[in-house]
Amino acid sequence: MPDNIYLPELARITYIKEEVPGERAIKTFRVEPLNGDSFEHECGQCAMLSAFGRGEMMISIASSPLVKEYKQFSIMRVGRVSAAFHDLAVGDVVGIRGPYGNSFPVDDWRGRNLYFIGGGCGLAPIWPVITTAVAQRDNFKNITVFYGGRSPRDIMYKAELEKLRGVADVHLSVDKAEDGWDAYCGFVPANVMDKEPSSDNAIAITCGPPIMIKYVIQNLSQLGFADEQIYTTLENKMKCGLGKCGRCNVGKDYVCVKGPVYSWAELKNLPEEY
Amino acid sequence: MEKILDKQRLDDWIAALTDWEAFAPAVEDGVWAFRPVVGAARLDHPNTKQPPKGFAFPQREVFFSFEQIKGEAPRLTQKLPDSKHRVVFGVRPCDARGTVRMDRVFADHVDDVYYQSRRNNMAYVGLACNKPPSAHCFCLSVGGSPVSSDGLDVLMTDLGDRYFLAAITETGKSLMTTAGDLLKMPAAADRKQAASVHAEAVAQPQRAINNPDGAPARLKASFKSPLWEELAQACIGCGICTFLCPTCHCFDINDEVTGSAPLKGNRVRTWDNCQFPDFTMHTSGHNPRPTVGARLRQRVCHKFQYFHENFGMHQCTGCGRCISDCPVGIDIVHVVNKVTEHAG
Repeated sequence: MPDNIYLPELARITYIKEEVPGERAIKTFRVEPLNGDSFEHECGQCAMLSAFGRGEMMISIASSPLVKEYKQFSIMRVGRVSAAFHDLAVGDVVGIRGPYGNSFPVDDWRGRNLYFIGGGCGLAPIWPVITTAVAQRDNFKNITVFYGGRSPRDIMYKAELEKLRGVADVHLSVDKAEDGWDAYCGFVPANVMDKEPSSDNAIAITCGPPIMIKYVIQNLSQLGFADEQIYTTLENKMKCGLGKCGRCNVGKDYVCVKGPVYSWAELKNLPEEY
Repeated sequence: MEKILDKQRLDDWIAALTDWEAFAPAVEDGVWAFRPVVGAARLDHPNTKQPPKGFAFPQREVFFSFEQIKGEAPRLTQKLPDSKHRVVFGVRPCDARGTVRMDRVFADHVDDVYYQSRRNNMAYVGLACNKPPSAHCFCLSVGGSPVSSDGLDVLMTDLGDRYFLAAITETGKSLMTTAGDLLKMPAAADRKQAASVHAEAVAQPQRAINNPDGAPARLKASFKSPLWEELAQACIGCGICTFLCPTCHCFDINDEVTGSAPLKGNRVRTWDNCQFPDFTMHTSGHNPRPTVGARLRQRVCHKFQYFHENFGMHQCTGCGRCISDCPVGIDIVHVVNKVTEHAG
């Protein structure tokens, strides 16, 4: 930890890609530290990004810890700071501090079948786990990715998902049928139910809108997944990232420190306030 | 180290502390507040309107300033607190215990350099409460006492025409040593009187939380109680309860822009408040604590359950400010008693 925990490092944007257009636009940013040396992170951890003059926002680090040269973030344009990021260009300098929170216990999952279940921009927080698992393919048995968006235009990481085929089973979905879409039509939890993943020696990792997570967990339980086999990652409004500013708590846990990653078994022990 | 100070000589002691900027309660606009000592300090206050938490954790502070030409790297300039030594006289035991709790939040786990550097240069010369300064005091219910020295550097006890001083920390000892001959050795009678004043102080009637030790478990069992919405119905979300609380530490961080081309501004920390709806509201509009009941529950459970689960102590020191100053009469003692009575 630096002496001043609130002072961000400076980082240059080296890559911007528009993932999803329109009102709920998502852009992917890669940033590299100006001083050539930044913090290391683990799968599932977050970082606080600064657009100076607009403020800070907490975003999941979407790149694998194995990638050292840059950190990737996929950001939906919704608020003051995210809108400021969407207006930035390659070469612009932003602030970054972190990493914050716990991480997915990926090493404990060696030899198991992994099911990733994402919706909307909820693919980004689990993307570092997916890419890390794929990079260490021999450590795991089957890797399956379920991912859905509202419409075909809302699917992020399209090219990357296509590249996964061959090393992983990829099941895409859109909420509503549309011409030219030949994969599943319907909500993500329904797509999971349709493919009936086996809970045998499996771990399921899910992230997406709260309502999606709720039904994904319900369906996984119905398919025989134990609470300990299901992982998710929470989001809450955050300002400090260090358990001091007092707003992201769920019961006694500050999500920025004790979370964001929880097994369903752990989450069930906290008050239902997220 | 124990000493006696003639009340007439208090100002001489303060004047002798040349390395320190001294603060004491003074009436300003009809309100008791900690002010720099100018002339004679008086310690005949009930309790100050605001606790002394702002000495280490000011209501607004600048973390750093930034200056950025578009497309270029910004220049960040840290604004660390000055290294002035500040001593606060007349701090009540409940408020010193409040600071002990703030220390846990800001100095445990990861240091907050802004809080910590101010805290390291601060001292409290406390004043025992011979009588409860407010009708809403309940320090005895929450592990405190009107004569507690927890969090103080020196504890003073009013013995009528003189103070009985006890050094609690090394800093306190050095403050007392600086006084030199102003401080006298206590006689046996002084010690006896101090002991009896303390015994009387502790025996004064106070309000009471009925089962403080059982509160964490009982509140946990009451998370879904309909009482929360009922008890919070009158809440107007003004936040005075947390603003005046000696243990409330929640804050916001924002950028304040002071100029454009080049962009100039400050990153600023300000106190924030769990009673405000947007405190927890996500950018999407989703709010984990969308109602006054959920927000009252957060304030009460943070103090009497969550903090206890994390640090083994209640995050309330029984000063009673949130009760006396609530414009709609929400009373934390009543709320804890009512909810815990109906638990399970």
